[in-house]
Amino acid sequence: MNYSTYDDYSLIHLVALAEEKALGALYDRYGKLVYSIALNSVGDAGLAEEITQDVFLRIWEKASTYQPEHGKVLTWITSITRHRAIDMLRRRSARPETVQPGWAVEEEGADDPPEMAAPENVEDLVDLAQQQQRVRKALAQLPQDQQKALAMAFFQGYSHSELALALGEPLGTVKTRIRLGMQKLRALLEIEA
Amino acid sequence: MSENHVIDLIAAYALNILEADEAQQVASHLAACSSCATELQSYLRVVEQLPLAAPDANPPAHLKACLMSQLPKKQNFTAAEKPAPMHIAPEKRPWWQTLLQALPTLSPAWNLASAVLILVLSASNLFLWQRIKQLDHPSSRHFITVDLQGSPSIPSAAGVLVMDEQGHAGTLVVDGLPVLDNSKTYQLWLIRDGARTSGGVFSVDSLGYGSLWITSQIPLTRYDSFGVTIEPAGGSPGPTGEKVLGGEL
Repeated sequence: MNYSTYDDYSLIHLVALAEEKALGALYDRYGKLVYSIALNSVGDAGLAEEITQDVFLRIWEKASTYQPEHGKVLTWITSITRHRAIDMLRRRSARPETVQPGWAVEEEGADDPPEMAAPENVEDLVDLAQQQQRVRKALAQLPQDQQKALAMAFFQGYSHSELALALGEPLGTVKTRIRLGMQKLRALLEIEA
Repeated sequence: MSENHVIDLIAAYALNILEADEAQQVASHLAACSSCATELQSYLRVVEQLPLAAPDANPPAHLKACLMSQLPKKQNFTAAEKPAPMHIAPEKRPWWQTLLQALPTLSPAWNLASAVLILVLSASNLFLWQRIKQLDHPSSRHFITVDLQGSPSIPSAAGVLVMDEQGHAGTLVVDGLPVLDNSKTYQLWLIRDGARTSGGVFSVDSLGYGSLWITSQIPLTRYDSFGVTIEPAGGSPGPTGEKVLGGEL
């Protein structure tokens, strides 16, 4: 059975029914993204592998609890990944100072969508590629200091005060930076308040 | 509070990076202010797109095979959904048939030992059968469960509260909650007619699992709903922090 053409929701349903190949298809579709988020957060390939496996094992065990009304499958998976990565950083009581998280930004005018995982993947992957391109172009329009603060907050769970300490900036400056960055992203992504 | 909107903090709240006191301030305000709640939803939609901008990195080729080899076995198929077996294995003779067939060729001592073993196993089966009958009393099988769903900031979290039919006692089991630092704890709230009573505090392990044994002065079945919030270590007299789980009876 080739599950690569199944949509995300069907795959999750099959995973809930203990269909291992459906989980394999989900991995083919989102394994690279999960690993990318994990690596950007923890800055260590071994830990990123551990997180990636942990995320998909969790999907395997919890697929039956997934509820479409709470968000898309992609959002569910990336949320699990982010929380797992930040948990791991907190458990280790240290963030990788030598590796700064960043963004894959795309300048306006770039037409090629990001590389897709497999040519046979269809609607969900096209959507994913378009979403990636859109958010990367939006991030490219933020000032560097806003990009950096948002990356540390999002991927590594830095609080306002931790950011101020790490960046050597006043707390108020950091708060403003985060707020302005998010406001601008919201406008660029055309999300209505 | 509703006249002093918390708009300046909502973006950071959506990112889950506020200090505990600020998060508490925002959560309290959001509960009573629909315009700020709408503002939060818009920022949550930004947050859910941010992971897509992680710089691309390719996982090692062996990772998928390693993952698939670790999958715990589970049996969730219903009878209708269970796929047909790919082939039928040749019928195997039960071990006891093989043994019985071999018995005539064994020594008299072996025959005696086998007879004793059969008697012991028969007695043991009889004892276990009677024990099962005792445990099968209807009153021991009735439980009420309440599913708790994760809040929008932690949609992957989940919990279940199991109580006996009369609600005299119960157990909460949670999964997928982030580990808190030592200054914070999770606290269960028993909610009835809007009034919230503490059901106890608990923590979770490194995998996000946690449990809590609940006793209540009034039966748990009389509460309308249940919620879990993040509170300062030791718990609070009333909920002050971010709500992470909730469910209705």
